[in-house]
Amino acid sequence: MYLIGNIAIYLGIAISIYGLIANALGIKQKSGKWLESARGAVLSLAFVSSISSFLLLYILGTSQFQFKYVASYTNESLPLAYKLTAFWAGNAGSLLLWAFLLSIYTAMVVFSKEQKNPMMPYVSSILMLNVLFFFTVMALNANPFEMTDKIPADGKGLNPMLQNPGMILHPVTLYMGYVGLAVPFAFGIAALILKRMDSEWIKLTRRWTLLAWLFLTLGNIIGGWWAYLELGWGGYWAWDPVENASFLPWLTVSAFLHSVMIQERKNMLKTWNLSLIILSYILTLFGTFLVRSGILTSVHAFGDSNLGTYFLVFMAFMMLFSLYIVMTRYTLIKKDSSPIEAYFSKESSFLLNNLILVAAAFAVFWGTMYPLISETFTGTKVNVGAPYFDKVMAPILLGLIVLMGICPLIAWQKAVIEKFLKNMLWPLAMGVATAIILFAAGVKGIYAIVGLSATSFMFGTHVLEFARGIGARRKATKENVLKAAFKLTVKNQRRYGGYIVHIGIAVIAVGVISSHAYSSEVLKTLNTGESIKIGEYALQFNSLTEQMKNGNGVVVADVAVFYKGKDIGKIKPEKIFYETWPEPSTEVAIKTNWSQDLYVVLSSWENKDKVTLMVKVNPFVSWIWTGGIIMVIGTAFALAGGGPASSRYQINKGLKTVGR
Amino acid sequence: MEMKKKIILQTILFLILIPTLTTAFTYNSKEFKHIISQLDMQGHADHELSTCSVKKIYYDEVVEMLNGGKSENDIIQSYVDEYGQAALRTPGGGTSGWIAWGMPAAGFGIGSVIVGVWLRKLTLKKAETKMSAYKGWESEIEKEIASKTFDEERRKLF
Repeated sequence: MYLIGNIAIYLGIAISIYGLIANALGIKQKSGKWLESARGAVLSLAFVSSISSFLLLYILGTSQFQFKYVASYTNESLPLAYKLTAFWAGNAGSLLLWAFLLSIYTAMVVFSKEQKNPMMPYVSSILMLNVLFFFTVMALNANPFEMTDKIPADGKGLNPMLQNPGMILHPVTLYMGYVGLAVPFAFGIAALILKRMDSEWIKLTRRWTLLAWLFLTLGNIIGGWWAYLELGWGGYWAWDPVENASFLPWLTVSAFLHSVMIQERKNMLKTWNLSLIILSYILTLFGTFLVRSGILTSVHAFGDSNLGTYFLVFMAFMMLFSLYIVMTRYTLIKKDSSPIEAYFSKESSFLLNNLILVAAAFAVFWGTMYPLISETFTGTKVNVGAPYFDKVMAPILLGLIVLMGICPLIAWQKAVIEKFLKNMLWPLAMGVATAIILFAAGVKGIYAIVGLSATSFMFGTHVLEFARGIGARRKATKENVLKAAFKLTVKNQRRYGGYIVHIGIAVIAVGVISSHAYSSEVLKTLNTGESIKIGEYALQFNSLTEQMKNGNGVVVADVAVFYKGKDIGKIKPEKIFYETWPEPSTEVAIKTNWSQDLYVVLSSWENKDKVTLMVKVNPFVSWIWTGGIIMVIGTAFALAGGGPASSRYQINKGLKTVGR
Repeated sequence: MEMKKKIILQTILFLILIPTLTTAFTYNSKEFKHIISQLDMQGHADHELSTCSVKKIYYDEVVEMLNGGKSENDIIQSYVDEYGQAALRTPGGGTSGWIAWGMPAAGFGIGSVIVGVWLRKLTLKKAETKMSAYKGWESEIEKEIASKTFDEERRKLF
């Protein structure tokens, strides 16, 4: 096993180097044989990384504690699912996962129907350079197949916080998002090297980018859900440096997905789009650097890591390489750019959207790095925690929501203001009505009301857009509403998929704003039979019991819950004492309905008749998860839809566009 | 009469003040929550209270100080005196604080100017080429035919 694992890692390095050389020779000598050989190297890389990955899964699943990695992250009593997910619990395993995903992606790209595209040798070289880096880091510093000096009887076990279904999905989805961004980056750079300044690379990578964005969205949402269930502080997003690191590329890719539409239609923003995709890729490396360098304190960081320097060097190299390529092709990129017809047009609104998204990314980046910056320059550490981000990001995200409400109503090329105002009337009325209803219902908090009204306005715009489309279709085809709605969305999946994503964001916004502004919390010590009142809930503590579950000691509080005086069942918050972990783990008990979560944590106890409970009522948190699902559906819908219309590429060749 | 009024007023005042004088601050007090939300607690602010001993110490200290009659400012200041700005979750005043809070706004401002100038440049470019690129309808008939063709294409698309 040791031999196979190590050979696989060193073979990964050798094959990557060979693939790079074969591509270089193939390009230089215009030799199909060398290029074919490089393609073979890509396939071999996928094979080798699969072998090493399956081997790691095998040694984890069979508890082979002679391997350091297995002994560090698993133990005998750990359920099989978590033994296997320990694959990405530590540094070495997560690097292998990255290398594995990247190799598979590279093989999928190289053997796609575009395999004969002249860009492909460059694309595969860039991707293989990434694979080479990850295999090299594993060989030099974080080998998952390293042996222990003395075989322990049992392993250390997995951190209890990682023993959650979130562990199965969150890291993998996030990595798939990170790794996926290497593909459009590679295509962008390849297009620049070949001086192909049209939108071909964007067309070829649309699905890859969207897929990466889908996984980043999914990863972030699942991460929030996991934190909410597992960390026990009642929140889902703490603006932790590592959370921010995964949010940063999400923001820049969101900007990219909008601005590429302008390049497709108008053949403009070419430098900008390239810069955005380069930035997004660099930010994925930056995120990995943050997790592994230990320069910032984070709940997500790998504690025993000294890999930061490797990532810093690689990140700097890729950044300089990209900059060099962009600068040497700058004059070519600037050529053939179309002008904007009018200030008031969808093109301009997309520029504004990009400005806000990039400003948001900058604010998050600045806040994340400021403790380090201040310490470096002034010698004094200044913390930048969640309240800072809440204050800074709230107006930016509010601006984004308002813009999302306005943008769909603005036509391409040149919008007619009167028509725009007429279209905006209903959504605006919806926003105003929301504000009035909230005020009338006695809801307090002006900022939250403004946010909720803006969200309602944005939602109204999208409903109106669907209604207008369906109406227009019915007028032309006389179909019934359902058929018209179905055919309308299916005929233009990209557009309506995007609208569904926006609706998902509106739903998430309701959850985020409400849970921030209107959550309540009580921490109280109760004797048996006593109650806590919070909002419309009353909780009565019945008993505290001790039991064994999966070999671990569990303390369970039995609490009866009453909602508006009506018995709605029991809730059982727990504390689990793992044999392998010094601190007990909290198992939060949650009762969810459509409008709020009752969130109960067993905080402490003096004896069997006296416990302290932390109880929170978090309004509309379930809307965040629902919104996330809607976003994923919308993205999948847009992904399944056809690529950009061929007419758009003709436009790039000089034809004039037709407005909406 | 004057004396009676004075006694009644003093009694009312006393009755109003009694609850605030006697109510002990707890973890659920609004004042406590407001203070604790500002403290970084040596990086433990987002930890779960029941499993974090550092956070628990901070909670108890703040409640004790509040019950000891210290004001919010006094309590915050006492932590800043002990740990410096690192005691807080957000940057405070001073140059460092201004830079921390002002930079995102400055970034947005600079970005807005760049986008504004860019937009103006691109729109002016359009104005320059507008005259040569513009072609009106040669006749009403041509306009009508084009309109019908567009309509037909639109239907086909549906």
